[in-house]
Amino acid sequence: MEEMPAGGHPTSAFPGTDVSRSPGACQKAGSPIPLFRMQNLWYAYPDGIQALSGVDLDIFSGDRIALVGQNGSGKTTLIKLLSGLLAPALGEVLYKGKNLADEHLDNSRLTIGVLFQDPDDQLFGHTVMDDVAFGPRNQGKSREAAALCAEQALHRVNLEHLAYKEPHNLSYGQKKRAALAGVLAMEPGVLILDEPTANLDPGQEAVFLDLLKAFEGTLICISHDLIFLYELCENAVVLHHGSIHHNYTMRELVSRRSALREHGLDFSFRLRIPANGVPAHDENGKNGRGTLSDAGASALDDPSGHAPLVRLKSYGYVYPDGTSGLQGFSLDIHAGEKMAVVGENGAGKSTLLACLCGLRQGQGDLYFTGDRVTRKRAKNLWRRVGMVFQDCADQLFCASVQEEMLFGLGRLGLSPEQCRERAADALARVGLAGFENRVPLHLSGGERKRLALGCVLAMDPDLLILDEPTAGLDPRGEELLVAILETFDKTLLLVSHDLFFVEKITQRTVVMHQGRVIRDLPTPVFMQDDKLCHLNGLSFSYRQRTFTAIQKLQHEHEHRHPHRHIHDHEHRHDQTVHTHPHEHVHDHPHRYVHNHPGGQKNHDHARRRVHDHDHPGHDAEPHDHPHE
Amino acid sequence: MTDVPYIQVPLWYLPFLVVIPAGMAAGVVSWLKHRSKNRVVREKDPDWSIPPLTQGSGQGTSLIHRWDVRCKIVTMLAYSFAVASLRHLDAAVAAVLVSLAVLMVARVSLHKVVLRLVALAGFLGMLLVVMPLTVPHHPGDVILVFGSLDWLGVNMRGVILAATIAAKATAIALLMEPLLSTAPLPVTLYGLSRLGVPDMVGQMVLLSYRYLHVFSHEARRMTAGMQARGFVKKTNMDTLRALANFLGMLFVRSFERTERVFDAMQARGYKGRFPEPGQLQIRLPDILLTGVWIAAGTALVFYDCTNV
Repeated sequence: MEEMPAGGHPTSAFPGTDVSRSPGACQKAGSPIPLFRMQNLWYAYPDGIQALSGVDLDIFSGDRIALVGQNGSGKTTLIKLLSGLLAPALGEVLYKGKNLADEHLDNSRLTIGVLFQDPDDQLFGHTVMDDVAFGPRNQGKSREAAALCAEQALHRVNLEHLAYKEPHNLSYGQKKRAALAGVLAMEPGVLILDEPTANLDPGQEAVFLDLLKAFEGTLICISHDLIFLYELCENAVVLHHGSIHHNYTMRELVSRRSALREHGLDFSFRLRIPANGVPAHDENGKNGRGTLSDAGASALDDPSGHAPLVRLKSYGYVYPDGTSGLQGFSLDIHAGEKMAVVGENGAGKSTLLACLCGLRQGQGDLYFTGDRVTRKRAKNLWRRVGMVFQDCADQLFCASVQEEMLFGLGRLGLSPEQCRERAADALARVGLAGFENRVPLHLSGGERKRLALGCVLAMDPDLLILDEPTAGLDPRGEELLVAILETFDKTLLLVSHDLFFVEKITQRTVVMHQGRVIRDLPTPVFMQDDKLCHLNGLSFSYRQRTFTAIQKLQHEHEHRHPHRHIHDHEHRHDQTVHTHPHEHVHDHPHRYVHNHPGGQKNHDHARRRVHDHDHPGHDAEPHDHPHE
Repeated sequence: MTDVPYIQVPLWYLPFLVVIPAGMAAGVVSWLKHRSKNRVVREKDPDWSIPPLTQGSGQGTSLIHRWDVRCKIVTMLAYSFAVASLRHLDAAVAAVLVSLAVLMVARVSLHKVVLRLVALAGFLGMLLVVMPLTVPHHPGDVILVFGSLDWLGVNMRGVILAATIAAKATAIALLMEPLLSTAPLPVTLYGLSRLGVPDMVGQMVLLSYRYLHVFSHEARRMTAGMQARGFVKKTNMDTLRALANFLGMLFVRSFERTERVFDAMQARGYKGRFPEPGQLQIRLPDILLTGVWIAAGTALVFYDCTNV
C-alpha cells in the first residue's frame, strides 16, 4: 500500500510550484471536456517505490506536451497510466470523459499510440510488414486494408523498401522508424513517446523530428533532450518525485533557469556550442576552451616527440558475414590526448573500439606504446585500455556495487587491500561513496553510468574509451559526468553524437565514414566547419537553430539599474503592519534573465519591467507606497 | 563367440578403410562449418519491398511452396515417422534420395540445408565411430580385425546399423528446410494451430524466434563487457561465480524485456491472439500431393518390411 501524506493535497506541499494551469488551458478555455483528465493519481510499484503521488493534470485534444523530470521522477509510470498499461492505485484517469478501464480501455488502446524507448520491445513481428500491420489488424481491419495502412505508414517513415525484412536485421535507426510506423499505421489520435530520439545519430534525430512535427493529433513526449522538446512541444509538465511541480509553456520552461536547476534539468551549460562558426559568449565573452590556434597547434602533433600511445596503420576488420567494419584505417593517438570519434550509425566506430580493447583482431598493424599488438598481447590490452559501454547494463552484472568494483581489480593481481583502496577512491571520484552495498540493477541510469565509469577508472587505464556516455542521462547526470571527466588526466577517446561533449571534453576530432577516417581536425576547427551540418548524418542544423533561440530566452548577466519589484511581505505603515502585493523601485546589482537581441548587440533593460530575482533583507527596508 | 567370424586384414588397411575416410569426413564437416560461418555477404541485397517467398528466380513458386501448409505439416511428419521406423540401410538410403528429390523440387537454400547437416554431423560422426566398436556381438556378425590389433574389432553389423541411423537422420533433416522455409513462419505456426496445437504454443515459438536474436546479442555484449575487464574462462570458483552472475543478469534482463514486449503488444490492441496471417484453403492438388507422398512413405515401409 502506498502512503498518503496527511493533511490534504500532496502537490501543495511544495513551495513555489505552479500547477494551477493545465496545458492548453488558455487556448482551450472553451473546450469543456479534456481529452485526458488525471485526478489525484497515486501509484506505487510492488517493491514499494512510490512512483506517482497525487497527480492532477488535464490534457486537451491537440496539445503537444513535454513530460520532463529527472530519472525516476515518474514520467514513464505516468504514460503507462495514460495508455492503460497500469491501473492507478488511487485516483482515476479519464479518457474522453470515461474512466480508462474495461471495454473503454480496450477501445482506447486502438486510438492511443505509444512509442517505447527500445524499439526491440515494440518490433515483435516476423517481418516489418507483419509488425506494422499488427495494430490495424487489431483494430478490426481486413488483411488487405491493414496491409494498405502499413504500406502508407512505412512510406511516411521511408521504410517501404524494407517492408519484408526481419526486424532484427534492421539498423537501430531503422528499427526506431519501423516502431513509429507501427504506431502511425493505427492512425492514432494521441501519440505518446518515451525518449524517441535516444541513441539516434543527429541525422536520424532530425528525420524523427520532422515526422513527429507532421503528426496532427495530441502528442505527449518524454525526453531528457530539451532542445528536441523545444522544437516539438508547446507545453512542459515538470515531474519531481512523482508529483507535478510545474506546468509551463515550453518557452517559459527553457527560460527559467531556476526551475530547470531545481529539477536537474538545467541544460544551459550546453548552450555554448558555437552556432555555424559564431562562438557563443559567456559572461566574459570567451568560450572557455582557449583559442582556435592554441588547439590547432597541439591537436595533431605529438607534443612530447614520443611514440604515440596507439598507432593503427592500414588496419582493417571484416566481420564473419563479410561486412566490412574498418578498411585501410590509420590513426595515431598520443598519450594525454583527448580525442573524439564521430560519424553516423554504422560508420565503424564500435568496431574501432572493439579492436582497441582487444575484443576483436583485424588485419594490419596496431601498436600500443610502440609495441606491435599481437594476438597474444591483444588478450592483455584490458590492463591498459578501459572502456565504458554505451549501454552500461552490458558491463554491470554483479550483485553489489562493491563486487562490481572488485571484478576487474581482482584480475589485475593487486592485493585485496589495494583493491579495496582503489575501489573506494574510484567510487568517491564518481560520487558514489557509500553505495558499496547497493545493487547495481536498482541504481538510477545516471548512477549506473557513473558506476561503470568508476569500475574502469579504478583499473587506472592508460586509455579510457567512452562510447556515447550521455545516452539516456538527464542534464544533471551529464553535468556530473563532465565534472568527473575534467579531472581525468590520461588519454581519452570519446565516441559521441553529442557535439557539446565533443566540444567540452576533447581537443581533436576524427570523423569516420564507411570504416575510414575522412576528417582529422582540432576540435575547434571541426566545430566551426561550415559543412558540419551536412556531413554524413551529422546534421546539427536544427539543434543550432534551437540553441540560438533558447540563448535569446536565457540570456543572463549582472546589471545595476533602478527597477521595479512586486513584493508580498509583511511591512509596517505607521502603526499598521500588513501584507499585500505592492510594487516599488529599487536600484541594486542583480543577476537577471531576460530576452536578448543576441550576440554582442547593445540592448536596453527596460526600467519599467518587473524583475524576478532574490531580494535578501528587503523585508527590513523602509517602505513608502500609496494605499487605496 | 565361436559363431562370430573374424576376418583378419593387414594393418595397412586401417588407414585406407578407417583413418583416411574418417579424416576426410571430419575435414569436409570442418570446412563446411568454417564456410557457413564466414560466408561472404551477398553482393546484392534482396528486394525487401516484396515478400521474399514470392520473388523471381523460381524460389517461392515451387510445388512445395504452393502446398497447403496443413497438408505439408501432416504429410512430412507422417513421412518422417515412417522413415524413422525403417530398419534396413537400403530403405534408409532410398529415403535420403526421396528427400534430395524434394529439395530439388522445393529449390530451397542449399546453404541452410548444409548448416542443418553440419549441426547433425557431430552426433552422427560419434555414432559411426562408436557403434562399430561397441555393439554386442551376435551370432552371424562379421568382425574385422586389423593386423594384430585384436582389441580393435570392427563389427560390420555396427557399421551398417550406424549408417542406417545416419541415413534416416539425414533424410529427415533434409526435409526440415522444405517444411520450414517454404512458408513464412507465422503461416506455418498458424497451420499448426489449425491442426489443433494450442495458439499459445505458436505464439511462444514466434516470439522466441524473434527474441532469440535479441537475447544472443545481449549475451554477446555482456560477454564483451566481462572480457574488457579481464575475464577469462577458467576451471575455478571465480569463473563459476562470474558465470552465475552473468546468467542471472541475462535472465533478469530477459524477464524485464518480456514484460516490456507484453506492454507494447497490449498497447497496440493485443488481447491474447495474434491476427491470422492469411486464409488457408485445401485444394485438390494439395490432396493429390499429400496422397502421393504418403504412398511413397508407405511403399518405403513396405519395402523395408519385406526386405529380409
